Amino acid sequence: MRARLNKTWVLFSVWFAHMSAYRAEVVIWMLSGAIPLIMMAVWIGKARAAGGQTGGFNEQRFAAYFLAAWITQQLIVAWVAWELDYQIRQGHLSPKLLRPLDPMWEFFAGHYSERLVRLPFMLLIVFAGLLIVPGTRLTPDIWHVLLYTLSVTLAFFTRFLIAYCIGILAFWFDQATAIDDFYFVAAAFLTGAFAPLEFYPPALRAFIEWTPFPYLVYYPVRVLTGEAPGPEIVRVLAIQLLWAAGFYALRSALWQRGLARYGAVGA
Amino acid sequence: MRLIRYLRVLGIFVRASISAQLEYRVNFAVNLFGSLLLAGGTLLGITILYSDGTRLGGWSYRESIVVVGLFTLVQGSIGAFLYPNLNKIGEEVRQGTMDFNLLKPVDAQFLISSRNINVFRLTDALVGAGLVIWAASGLENASGTGALLGLCLIVTALTIVYAVWFMLSTTAFWFVKVGNVTELFNGFFRAGAFPVSALPGWVRLMFTFLIPVAFVTTVPAEAIIGRWNVGSVFGSGVAAVLLLGVSRWFWTYAISKYTSASS
Repeated sequence: MRARLNKTWVLFSVWFAHMSAYRAEVVIWMLSGAIPLIMMAVWIGKARAAGGQTGGFNEQRFAAYFLAAWITQQLIVAWVAWELDYQIRQGHLSPKLLRPLDPMWEFFAGHYSERLVRLPFMLLIVFAGLLIVPGTRLTPDIWHVLLYTLSVTLAFFTRFLIAYCIGILAFWFDQATAIDDFYFVAAAFLTGAFAPLEFYPPALRAFIEWTPFPYLVYYPVRVLTGEAPGPEIVRVLAIQLLWAAGFYALRSALWQRGLARYGAVGA
Repeated sequence: MRLIRYLRVLGIFVRASISAQLEYRVNFAVNLFGSLLLAGGTLLGITILYSDGTRLGGWSYRESIVVVGLFTLVQGSIGAFLYPNLNKIGEEVRQGTMDFNLLKPVDAQFLISSRNINVFRLTDALVGAGLVIWAASGLENASGTGALLGLCLIVTALTIVYAVWFMLSTTAFWFVKVGNVTELFNGFFRAGAFPVSALPGWVRLMFTFLIPVAFVTTVPAEAIIGRWNVGSVFGSGVAAVLLLGVSRWFWTYAISKYTSASS
């Protein structure tokens, strides 16, 4: 147990040092994911034009929603599909397979420690956002922040594992990153980063509910802003756990098959 | 005579790019699917924005789709022409191969801006152009003059995008590590999918003067739907010439400070 804890600690501190060296890049990547902030401006513009509110959302409610959506999007970013694709095609994966540790945990530590590098700049943007739209209340109390931390962590697991599954496809064909691009386009419109799902046509909304997408941004946001009542929070966390577990199982199955194939190609 | 020589060189680059990429024909299908997905998603977004029955910044649904089409068209042009060329500057500075570009008997800026063309990303441009034509054909104020003016404004828009993108990539001479600085533009350019009047006051000013997104999609769209005004057309031309000049100056300055990778 001690050895395992030690291993975890070393992995995270090494990756934190690595990611801190790239803090300028991290800030640039953060700004490139500005969709929720732009949509915040567009929807606030709409609310103003409609005389203060549209569809039950006023300026402050939009601001809280989209600031929370931006934070969530920042915290679930995963680029592991690209990294895995690159390492599989270039053969960099081979030495990693010799270590007594599934390479996934190294990627995971890299992603997870990068969140800490994001944090200071994230707080700055959120603070600016709260100043620009006075009267915005991001979250009702500390309990919702804690529940949100749990929810967004599960969302991150899910997104990370989806990206991992896509990256593993590079064992079979060389367009794996294109599939991650497709995911990115779909996610931009289906997770709720573009608009609160209340504004979606009912048929589409019903469909989206059956996908993992709303559990990546929309529902964690509702947990943070306090819009989700208690029973909903429980339901959201349970479904998030199911999605994460499902993709974990899928990634294990794909990984074993992919590795078998990789051996055959590399030998 | 110089112009003819440059055009001939450009022709060679285009032919070489096409023949290199036709080897990967599956990419065409993949890119086309990606383009349709992007256009479909953006259309869905516009539909959602109009679902409460009000207009977006005074623009009707059809008119907004002209903006979406132009946005997709410009994104396709970036992917086809700018990305495969200008984003290599950082890499070349790091590896020292930038020196070879400076030694060639053609203008170095021309060389590094035109060598590669990603033919498959033109699918975005085609889907975008299709959207513009489809949306504009249903508008009564759209006219031949407006379309012609719109075409000119698309050229100035692409010039503005090129100048900004080129300046961002040129910073690679100093910040070798910051290879993805053009992502900054990508992030903010997302706002170009909407008419700029949909944004609240000061954000609109920011996207007009600080980051000239308004000139890239809204102004050409205004011409196409027949609602243009002299001020913004003139402003677009001035912005294009000014930014092109500044980017040229910045490039000359950058290479005058450049000391190669090994020295």
